[in-house]
Amino acid sequence: MEAGSALDAAPLRGFKDFYQYASTTRVIAGRDLLDSAGFEFKKEGARRVFLVTDEVIRGTGLVERVEAGVTDGGLEVAGVFDQVPQDSSTAVVERCAAAAKEAGADSFLAVGGGSVMDTAKVADAVFTHGGGAAEQEGFFLMPRDDDGMGKPFDIAPLACIPTTAGTGSEVSMAAVIKDPERKVKLEIADFPLFPRLAILDPESTRTLPAKIAAATGMDAMTHAIEGYVSTDWSPHQDARSLHALRMIRGNLERAVERGEQDEEARGNMLIAANLAITIALGSVHAMSHPAGAQFGVPHGVANAIHLPHVIEHNAGGGSDIADRYRDIADVFDVSEPEVGPALAAYLTELIARLGLPTRLSEVGVPEEGIPALVEGAMGDGTTLLNPREMGEDEYAELYRRAM
Amino acid sequence: MAYFKDADEVYATIGKLFEDLAEDDELAPKFQKANTIVQYQYREPQSQITVKLIEGEDGQVDFGDTPMEPEVVMSMDADTAHRFWLGKVNVTVALARGQMKAKGPVAKILKLVPLVKPVFPRYRQLLEDSGRRDLLEAS
Repeated sequence: MEAGSALDAAPLRGFKDFYQYASTTRVIAGRDLLDSAGFEFKKEGARRVFLVTDEVIRGTGLVERVEAGVTDGGLEVAGVFDQVPQDSSTAVVERCAAAAKEAGADSFLAVGGGSVMDTAKVADAVFTHGGGAAEQEGFFLMPRDDDGMGKPFDIAPLACIPTTAGTGSEVSMAAVIKDPERKVKLEIADFPLFPRLAILDPESTRTLPAKIAAATGMDAMTHAIEGYVSTDWSPHQDARSLHALRMIRGNLERAVERGEQDEEARGNMLIAANLAITIALGSVHAMSHPAGAQFGVPHGVANAIHLPHVIEHNAGGGSDIADRYRDIADVFDVSEPEVGPALAAYLTELIARLGLPTRLSEVGVPEEGIPALVEGAMGDGTTLLNPREMGEDEYAELYRRAM
Repeated sequence: MAYFKDADEVYATIGKLFEDLAEDDELAPKFQKANTIVQYQYREPQSQITVKLIEGEDGQVDFGDTPMEPEVVMSMDADTAHRFWLGKVNVTVALARGQMKAKGPVAKILKLVPLVKPVFPRYRQLLEDSGRRDLLEAS
């Protein structure tokens, strides 16, 4: 093997050869913002707004409040698509895009969790540029001028009102959609997918069930931790990750336990999820994507199950990796010398306190599923960003431990 | 200035590497686990290499036009491809900067990336053996 190749583990400190950072979404956060959804979205060029949501959210009455907020701001509601399932698919995206076209919409407003927001993003791309949902797959492949090497073309204005505090999709350029035919999760990322506007109002998470608040909160926790230790780390993301972890430490359990009664904790968790999101992830996500695609394990639950095992494995990969985890452990006042096992144990206890499963066998994943899961993890782009090099044997062992 | 003056130079170096790998008893079966057909579309100079990686089937490498239908298409400057095989390109950075573009079920290719490290010294050796030491100085 050649020494010093670009495929060797990247250093986790010092001045990097390269990184890029972008965060182009205008974020407004605070109380009573749902009523001004139209007033704010108008500033982004929206006129005829197509709402994307799911039946559960619609049943809470939240969508009607947002619709009223849209029309109060002088905009029209062109239509509502409320058929987004928990793990959205290419077919749902295409139905959503076609419905928006049929309604004569010129913009999208997503009201929901990660599945709803990702559906709206990819539907917007299909709506604007045509083609099928699966054709959007890839990183930085959206249409551009200068023979595909120049500025990417805008898609229709998109605003997001997250109803969970975890995914961070409302401020990210990424979307994940299930392709049921290939049994994979399509990963799509490019600058135009940054929503123009994100509205963070704790009213939108007031009726969130405790289990979902816990799972989505662990998703945010995973983004913050993986973003901090990824080989694609950056000082910009470091600052966001560490502050997100401080906010999660102070608010996650409160938001889960006290839910409707604790507006402050819910609001702070919305902001923490916003800060935590990054596409520079690692093996937790590489393991969770196939668990979701093949066995329907909810993303936040899968992350919660895999996170402690990946931490313990990665932290044993060298002092520079362990040092990064030590910074994270400091946030939680975990100070044992062996940072990997200590941080993993701390998180396992937290996950149990939140009422989440800690084993794959508890969520319907059979031992015989491991080879297919390993194949999925090896093909996931985030594997290349994990701080410790991963192979099939390592993934098989981690899945076994997570059983 | 581009490292290669025409498509034939690309085929004689990078193309030859693919042909060698397709016949390698140890590495070929590992790459064939991808079960796909990959097409590398290079710019400057314009050239195209299509590689069949199907488990249990003989390898096939076509230069230029091909009857094979690729499932994954990777496009980049030939210089970027050359630097990649020298071990000097970080794939994730190249994808992020748009220096490499991958279309199709990219997962099938990404899982091969960790396998290519042993290929780097082979490429250097191939360049030396074919009298192209000039290309080793690429940075």
